[in-house]
Amino acid sequence: MSQLLDIDGLTLELHDGTRLLDGISLSVAPGETVGLVGESGSGKSLTARTVLGLVPERSRLGGRVRLDGREVIGAPARDILDLRRHAAAMIFQDPRAGINPMRTIGDHLTETLRRCEGKSAAEARARAIELLADVQLPRPEEHFDQYPHEFSGGMLQRVMIAGALTSSPKLLICDEPTTALDVTTQAEIVRVLVELRERRGMGMLFITHDLNLAASLCDRVVVMSRGRIEESGDARRVFTAPEADYTRRLIEATPSIAVRSLDGGVEPDASSRADASGRMDASALAGPMLEVRGLDKQYQLRGRPPVHAVVEAELEIPRGGSLGVVGESGSGKSTLARLIVGLEAADRGEVRVAGRERGAAPHGRAERLAHAKSVQMVFQDPYLSLDPRIPAGRAIQDVLRLHGGLDRAAAEARALELLEAVGLGERHLAARPKTLSGGQRQRVAIARALAIEPDLLVMDEATSALDVSVQAQVLDLVARLREERGLTVLFISHDLGVVRRVCERAVVMRRGEIVEQGPSDRLLREPEHPYTRLLVDSVPRPSWEVAA
Amino acid sequence: MTTPTPTLAVKVLRAPRAHRTSLVFAIACGVVAVMTLAAVFAPFVAPYPPDAVDFTAVNAGPSAAHWLGTDGLGRDLLSRLVYGARTALLGPLLVVIGSTIIGMLLGLLAGWRGGWIDAVLGRVFDVLFAFPSLLLAIMAVALFGKGLVAPVIAMSIAYAPFVARLTRALVKAERTRPYVAAYRVQGFGGAWIAFRRVLPNVTPIVGAQSTLNFGYVLAELAGLSFLGLGVQPPTPDWGAMINEAQSGVAGGYFLPAIVPAVAVVLVVVAVNIIGEELSDRIGGGVPA
Repeated sequence: MSQLLDIDGLTLELHDGTRLLDGISLSVAPGETVGLVGESGSGKSLTARTVLGLVPERSRLGGRVRLDGREVIGAPARDILDLRRHAAAMIFQDPRAGINPMRTIGDHLTETLRRCEGKSAAEARARAIELLADVQLPRPEEHFDQYPHEFSGGMLQRVMIAGALTSSPKLLICDEPTTALDVTTQAEIVRVLVELRERRGMGMLFITHDLNLAASLCDRVVVMSRGRIEESGDARRVFTAPEADYTRRLIEATPSIAVRSLDGGVEPDASSRADASGRMDASALAGPMLEVRGLDKQYQLRGRPPVHAVVEAELEIPRGGSLGVVGESGSGKSTLARLIVGLEAADRGEVRVAGRERGAAPHGRAERLAHAKSVQMVFQDPYLSLDPRIPAGRAIQDVLRLHGGLDRAAAEARALELLEAVGLGERHLAARPKTLSGGQRQRVAIARALAIEPDLLVMDEATSALDVSVQAQVLDLVARLREERGLTVLFISHDLGVVRRVCERAVVMRRGEIVEQGPSDRLLREPEHPYTRLLVDSVPRPSWEVAA
Repeated sequence: MTTPTPTLAVKVLRAPRAHRTSLVFAIACGVVAVMTLAAVFAPFVAPYPPDAVDFTAVNAGPSAAHWLGTDGLGRDLLSRLVYGARTALLGPLLVVIGSTIIGMLLGLLAGWRGGWIDAVLGRVFDVLFAFPSLLLAIMAVALFGKGLVAPVIAMSIAYAPFVARLTRALVKAERTRPYVAAYRVQGFGGAWIAFRRVLPNVTPIVGAQSTLNFGYVLAELAGLSFLGLGVQPPTPDWGAMINEAQSGVAGGYFLPAIVPAVAVVLVVVAVNIIGEELSDRIGGGVPA
């Protein structure tokens, strides 16, 4: 069988000699989906972009890339243009960044049809509406004249897919097309892609960092790391019997919602760990650490109906316990966190931490310090939550000196202790955030929160900006700190697998309301509320498990 | 849901191009450095005292004795240029420092506190913008007398709104960043965060922009002394030198006017190149 895309020994070097891709070989046959998986910086996007001739300036390419029987490397611009128009198309991660906000959806779709294929306006319109129907948008005629801002992220990504299909490509390259979307939306997009692939017999090169997604969708996968291919082969074989060490580590690090793990053994989760420590029963007597009663928050928007971000929320976490808050974007889970931490004031309701009432805005130094002592927070993006100018050690010392009144030497010693507790060391004391990796930064943020020895630690999507292997390290760290220090954790996440790993109990939020709560394992195994069921069903599962 | 972060591929595509401006930047730095050194070490650099009169050479062209020639009173132009650099550079320096301090404090106040303070300060800046800075300086001279002090204070105030407006915008953006929320959660007070953390973080960008003001102020102060309202004779000053050379120009002696004028242009252009390059490097760079 002739291959649609055939990459053989591809290398890419920057003008300064940095080798970003090294000996990449892969192929995609018509009608086949090949997954390109790996962590950030592994070169998977770069590989895919090379196929369409999107390479960095002044870089040197080596090897062969044949697309639809034609060589891409060294081809004249005219040929590459022709390949982009007829052979292959690409969809990107962020649909909103890839569409002109000032023009209608119809303009976006008909532009290519009219310019590249010379269709008349009426023909192009008819074809565009057909394509919008193909990607299962509900009202194609109406959407044609709408603007991007009227669309949700998921709808817009479908428009981008429709746009990629205008040229009837033989190969569709998808670069993390669902990463910026919610799970339920992701499930819809994936369904659309699979259906289109089957109907059109397209080949698909699907780039993702999400192993579960790759397993649910791909026939074959290629695992990349640091610009090299670690392993490639049949998806089921790679995921069930990985040969490369890297693949094995990646699979172990990936949180799964399946209660049975791949080798049939029981994956350790939060509840088994907590039971083993036995702390739960003893501390339950002392009253809950966090108690939230009837918490309510509305946002008034100018000229629009108010948004009810949190509706009568009721929560309780026992001392040393952990509670997960799961929901999609806009479910109000982050607002809930900000209300509990005190970054925003609630309209109604009360928050009690360790039995003490917690108001929003503290006045005066003593009140402010007491406020900080009861709740600390780890933010989503460690790239933004650390002051770029302040070295890691300084950041922790500042906090220690504010709260403990320690002198310089004592603060420095304690800061080092804390850094060591989160798996960093002396050499990180003087490191600025810029020189630290994402995982290291999040560790610094956790150490900084622990420096205050808070009653409650709120983690707001604290691992979602990290790679899976780094995420696994941070989750292990949280589990260890809980065991060692009896830390009480409120863990907010969109990822059911992660929540299951960290939390004994979880609540599911939707549009500001808590729709269901219970032990996290039970929520995943026997969801009661239809929305919880939808969430659980939307999480991608390996295709062979679904079939079985 | 994860926020889209630029992947390696995007970062590589976005990598900045090689600095083509670096040679021009180096020359500009050299010009400013030479001028500054000359001003500081004027007594050692200048061949004559600035007011030494040579009756044998009045309105003389360049010669071995007088490299740039002499003016209508037989004073050595090079010496006067070197001494004149002292007031020419000191005035703008003081104005830049003064306006930066005033502007940053007001901008921080407006941007950090927001609300009515922001609204009131905003209107005050608008009023100040409406006055040409030269006019303010002339008013100050009328009130407090001629010399360098009054115009410097007046121009410090006149230039402060430019700095304040930039600071305000930067502080407003910085205020919503998660690291500021993190400081709040940790129990740090608002004033501490504003002065000890946010202000230092915006200083490089504001500082680079303030450098650009240096050139404008230098030209305006030279204009002021050209009008006879700034530094008074016999103190050598570039603006005053051009003024004194006016009668000579009518008689065909261009050099005494051109020499200080070229010096003004050179410094203004050099300082602007430095300021723009600094703004580009500090403000335009992709954040970490």
